[in-house]
Amino acid sequence: MIVPIQSIKKPQPAQQYWRSASQIANTAKFQDWMHREFPEGASELPEGSTRRNLLKFMGATLALAGLTACRRPEEKIVPLVKGAEHLVPGKPVYYNSVFTMAGSSAGVMVETHDGRPTKIEGNPNHPHSLGAASTYAQASILGLYDPDRIAQHKKDGNAIQWDDFAKEVPFLFAGDGAKLRFLSQRIASPSYARLKGETLKKFPAAKWAEYEPLSGDTAKEGARIAFGRPVAANYNFEAADVVVALDFDFLGMDASTLLNARQWASRRRVRDHHDHMNRVYVAESQFSVTGGAADHRLRMKAGDILAFTQAIASKLGLEAGAPASVPGGEKASKVLDVLVKDLQAHRGKSLVAAGPRQPAAVHALALLINQTLGNIGASVQLLNATESTTEVEQLKQLVADLNGGSVETLVVFGGNPVFDAPADFDFATAYGKAKTRIYHGEDDNETAAVSTIILQAAHYLEAWGDGVNYDGAAAIQQPMISPLFDGKSQIEVLATIIGAEKKRGYEIIQETWDSALSGDKAKAWRKVIHDGVIAGVSSATVSATVNQGAVLEAAKAQAAVKSSDGIELVFVPSSHCYDGRFNNNAWLQEAPDPITKLTWDNAALLSLATAKKLGLADDVYQLETEAPSFSSQFISIKLGSGEVKIPALIQPGHADDSITLTLGFGRQKTGQVGEGTGFNVYPLRNSAGMSIAAGATVAKTAGTYELASTQDHGSLTDVLRTRTEIVREVTLDDFHKDHHAIQHIAHEHPEFQLYETPAYDSPYQWGMTVDLNTCFGCNACLVACQSENNIATVGKSQVLMGREMHWVRMDRYYTGSVEDAQMVAQPMACQHCETAPCENVCPVAATVHGPDGLNEMAYNRCVGTRYCSNNCPYKVRRFNFFDYHNKRYDWFTLGNKAPEIASLQYNPDVTVRMRGIMEKCTYCVQRIAHVRIQAKTENRPIRDGEIQTACQQTCPAQAIEFGNVADPESRVSKAKKLDTNYAVLQELNVRPRTTYLGRLRNPHPELV
Amino acid sequence: MADVAIKPNTQIDLLNATIDQPLVTGVPSYHEITESVARIVEDKPTKLWFGMLAVTVSLLGMLLVMLAYLTATGIGVWGNNIPVAWAWDITNFVWWIGIGHAGTLISAILFLLRQRWRTGINRAAEAMTLFAVACAAIYPVFHTGRPWRALYWLFPYPNTMQMWLNFRSPLEWDVFAVSTYGTVSLLFWYVGLLPDLATIRDRATGLRRTLYGFFSLGWRGSAHHWKHYELAYMVLAGLSTPLVLSVHSIVSFDFAVSVLPGWHTTIFPPYFVAGAVFSGFGMVLTLLIITRKALKVEHLITLKHIDYMCKVMLATSMIVGYAYATEYFIAWYGGVNGEQFAFYNRLFGPYWWATWSMIFCNVVAPLPLWWTAVRTNITAVFIITIFVNIGMWFERFVIIAISLHRDFLPSSWEYFQPTYVDILTYIGSMGLFLTLYLLFIKFLPMIAIAEVKGAIAQDIEQGAHH
Repeated sequence: MIVPIQSIKKPQPAQQYWRSASQIANTAKFQDWMHREFPEGASELPEGSTRRNLLKFMGATLALAGLTACRRPEEKIVPLVKGAEHLVPGKPVYYNSVFTMAGSSAGVMVETHDGRPTKIEGNPNHPHSLGAASTYAQASILGLYDPDRIAQHKKDGNAIQWDDFAKEVPFLFAGDGAKLRFLSQRIASPSYARLKGETLKKFPAAKWAEYEPLSGDTAKEGARIAFGRPVAANYNFEAADVVVALDFDFLGMDASTLLNARQWASRRRVRDHHDHMNRVYVAESQFSVTGGAADHRLRMKAGDILAFTQAIASKLGLEAGAPASVPGGEKASKVLDVLVKDLQAHRGKSLVAAGPRQPAAVHALALLINQTLGNIGASVQLLNATESTTEVEQLKQLVADLNGGSVETLVVFGGNPVFDAPADFDFATAYGKAKTRIYHGEDDNETAAVSTIILQAAHYLEAWGDGVNYDGAAAIQQPMISPLFDGKSQIEVLATIIGAEKKRGYEIIQETWDSALSGDKAKAWRKVIHDGVIAGVSSATVSATVNQGAVLEAAKAQAAVKSSDGIELVFVPSSHCYDGRFNNNAWLQEAPDPITKLTWDNAALLSLATAKKLGLADDVYQLETEAPSFSSQFISIKLGSGEVKIPALIQPGHADDSITLTLGFGRQKTGQVGEGTGFNVYPLRNSAGMSIAAGATVAKTAGTYELASTQDHGSLTDVLRTRTEIVREVTLDDFHKDHHAIQHIAHEHPEFQLYETPAYDSPYQWGMTVDLNTCFGCNACLVACQSENNIATVGKSQVLMGREMHWVRMDRYYTGSVEDAQMVAQPMACQHCETAPCENVCPVAATVHGPDGLNEMAYNRCVGTRYCSNNCPYKVRRFNFFDYHNKRYDWFTLGNKAPEIASLQYNPDVTVRMRGIMEKCTYCVQRIAHVRIQAKTENRPIRDGEIQTACQQTCPAQAIEFGNVADPESRVSKAKKLDTNYAVLQELNVRPRTTYLGRLRNPHPELV
Repeated sequence: MADVAIKPNTQIDLLNATIDQPLVTGVPSYHEITESVARIVEDKPTKLWFGMLAVTVSLLGMLLVMLAYLTATGIGVWGNNIPVAWAWDITNFVWWIGIGHAGTLISAILFLLRQRWRTGINRAAEAMTLFAVACAAIYPVFHTGRPWRALYWLFPYPNTMQMWLNFRSPLEWDVFAVSTYGTVSLLFWYVGLLPDLATIRDRATGLRRTLYGFFSLGWRGSAHHWKHYELAYMVLAGLSTPLVLSVHSIVSFDFAVSVLPGWHTTIFPPYFVAGAVFSGFGMVLTLLIITRKALKVEHLITLKHIDYMCKVMLATSMIVGYAYATEYFIAWYGGVNGEQFAFYNRLFGPYWWATWSMIFCNVVAPLPLWWTAVRTNITAVFIITIFVNIGMWFERFVIIAISLHRDFLPSSWEYFQPTYVDILTYIGSMGLFLTLYLLFIKFLPMIAIAEVKGAIAQDIEQGAHH
């Protein structure tokens, strides 16, 4: 908003200064250029303004600039050329928005620095995120600054402008749409859904398919079988004393993971020895974080879960056609008896839930069991849902239409069907039959590569939008930054296609929600934008009764078709790529898988017995080595026409005769990050076996492959079993009997110090506790820390060398046997020891102790001797072996500069470390400083809970407490007084400020 | 050198029980000694010398390329990781520093103990000390990846940042210990060189005369000169003596002061010093066996020298072996979980081969030295010294890398593998060492002419007694 020079009338100076020849030439072209240099509107100033007018405009400019700061709903996002009032340079501004993925949404709060989004946190107002954010949501910010994203609209490979496309729209989209088809991802946006409806109204003969490679269709279908009509089952883990999860990773991979985790954790928190906990039974084929968090985990083939569910139902007196023997062997039948007793003892306070991989019959049976136990209406809430054909059916129809030649124009909104559609559909060939193939997306992927028109999509941080969840919780998505390129959101594209009157995202959103607002609409709207959520919108709850006969029949029918012989394949989403959409996301690629700890790759996971069966027994050494890299034997898997060669990895606790395949890797066309990572398993995935596939041929094949793991596999060695004092775990019963059971695991060592220890008498002494009882190792803290603290990603070659930079190391330990292992997670970062051994060995005093108990790093003092790391008993220091930030992934030698756009994400409050510097957790010292300054300005003490570290802020289970340990009333002090509190390596007398609350398992007393 | 204070050579007699050989064979005249040493400096370099120099300079060039590569890109070109943040770099540093120890021991302690047999070998051994320190210094400076920072910060100097060093850090003690050691060794060596430099000067003409003349600081060999010289030499020997013990003690503090199992132990200072002397003698022997043959000075560096050095090696090997045994005993006896595991892991962990190589090379391989026949068999001694050189490298690797790769929290365990840059840098540092050594034997009298003449006088005297 700069007033053009020529509009200011002032006495001509005697001497004229000029900037370029064309200026004094004063040509029309130059005048035009001058005119265009400034924002629209501003140049519409009347010619010949007076000084008075000018002042008016200046006043208005200031006022308007102030309004942009408080998010006046004006679409234009202007660069902050001039400072605006209330906007303090260097102070971040937070905006609420919503992140939608695979048909669900989670409210987010976006930290922006001078108009540049830098970090994504959960929106505390949003009922599904409650302040937490998943790894995907947090890492989605990298998508905005992805140097490989589609940055140009294209037609037949040539760059076009948006207007060029808009001009073509009437020709491309004419008639009734008989030859027009749309394919989108699952829609979670009401505005998007509304425009979809309007599109289909305008082109009545057109069809629209929604497809997600990971669908929730079986749950829907199961509910339809059970209730005879579409109903959505919503689980409330807070209301359940006993949870039975049937192949259901409700803590790790579910649409409402964040909420589930919060509810589950609220029932795991043990504050004193009278507290009780819920009890979780998990039956699953592969190891999930839910399995790790379970009190009883049963490993069984995913195809056997139905039989297991039938057995539960039968024991509860339902004629479910139970199999002769309970799958999972002797242990399972023992657990089954107890489990059923436990369920019966907790009628109305239990929950049986099946996962999305399980067939509809299991879901239906689970609902029947819940009804039998009186859980419906208590831990299971039934919500209204709409009728729809399954996504695979929708896609199948589309492919049939394409192959039938009845499609001329296909518009693909997002997703990557060429890569992830079921193999038997051969989508790529079918797609080629459409004459005009329009792809709208951000990711320059396989589908974009074979499309005739590519429309670049705006990132969700660049555009207006909205999102709802299955339960109706609605939120508004608002742009944080003007599109970096010229991206358009789906709703804007659709509005253009149908020639809607309101084509701008903001108008579309406002139109959608206008009816939901009441009273002073402008005010209500401002509140909605501010809060990020639309209050009072939710799906109606319904009451329905399960049709027992239909369910039991469906179960029997399913039991008849299922073939459990031979090795089954189970397709699971990847913690790195999900279904492939995050393939080019460096944070996610490098965040070690919560269980396998693999980075940058996927592998075929199998049990030790299956490995032996396949002749891979030699590879057992995998379990014993702690090499960051280990060669894995390739196996070849054939199913139908697909064949995949993939390295095998022995997963402790994996079910026998089952192979877990992670989706989303091995992309043919992806960006520089995802290039060459992992193996594509989609060729094995047919529409008949989207989740569990039987009948595969598996054989050992030539060659080995190096997998990069951040953690050894040697965690099962005998030596380790003696180290019980690191992760301390007792049963709840033992804890009730002896409240010091956790502290008694290790000998109490006297706190003997040779030297005088620092006094630490300043009023603020920072400390932290991590509750291992509620932490299940989801990695959210790890990614939050990476985002907050500008932690570099290093690439596979560096992980192979053991040089990953994560400040939070998500330690995973197994207990028990290789066959039937249990898992514990322990986030490990700098412990801020009061007598820190790293400090006295640094020759240049680059790591020193602050008066408030922080172990501080002076980056520009560090010369890089790495002595501090050697002397750190926790080995939580990270060294910049190369100039990781400024170089391309995996290639750190001379040249190979990193793309500049990536640096836009950096948090300006945190130094970006160059090579040769040691770094580690700082307890988010920048956040502490920020609050301290604020408190000082307001002349008040820092309040408890006012400072939240990044890891603590985002933890879905609220397992982390941080605060002032000098204040006995602070939450962290209270946590440290608990009987479960212990310090790792307490015997070293380093007096860590981070302590852990021991893990309590709650096995059924009859099974101990 | 006319040391008037001592006449009968009793110490030699004690050591000389088995080998009835003079320290200088063939009873050459003073002139012949001067000739045979100065000849090496004055003759045109041989083809062999040029050939070897070509090889070592190539290796040196490789070292420079590797260091340039490291400086340009970062420490990541080596195999170091977290938790093995020190690996070949500090292993090589300690190894080189240890090698230097023979020189100081021979020149200072043996001098004070009036061990005349040191005269034939002290010059070369002292030179090796200096070159070894030069090689060692590469690692602490370059292992930071940003050597300009290391040089800038590691030395105390008043600055506007009002920042002082952390004097509690053993690395800082290292800086002082090694720089003192280097300085004193250089002075000691140079002072010892003065009379011989003057000898060369007197025999030279032209530019050589000017240069040798400059560095001989006007030595005329007057009684005054000798008096001051002897005194200075004695004082420097006195200064150097504690350094023999202190340098490696302080280097061992790098480890002993830490909390890491396998490092955190009070046995380290004497253990490291013995190991350093052991490895130093190993290297001195390796090089002198080749040198005496190549330069035809077998009559000046005799079997007797070799025999004595073997005895020192054998004694220090015993000390080192005893230290190993003590470490394992204490680990077992102490009953500390982490400590026990660290030593179990050394023997049976993934690096078992390094530990067993170390034990074999350092404890078993030197055992044949108990026999005189072995000690006087040049080939056998040479092979044993090679074992010692390798074994002592492994000792440092075992202590540093194996202790680091598996410590307290099993989740942090990693395996270390060197990269080609690690290996080439190490080989390159040998190039630097050998280049300096080759230049030294060509341009400086590699045997202390004046001192050997002193020793010969006593030999003659001794011979007369027979």
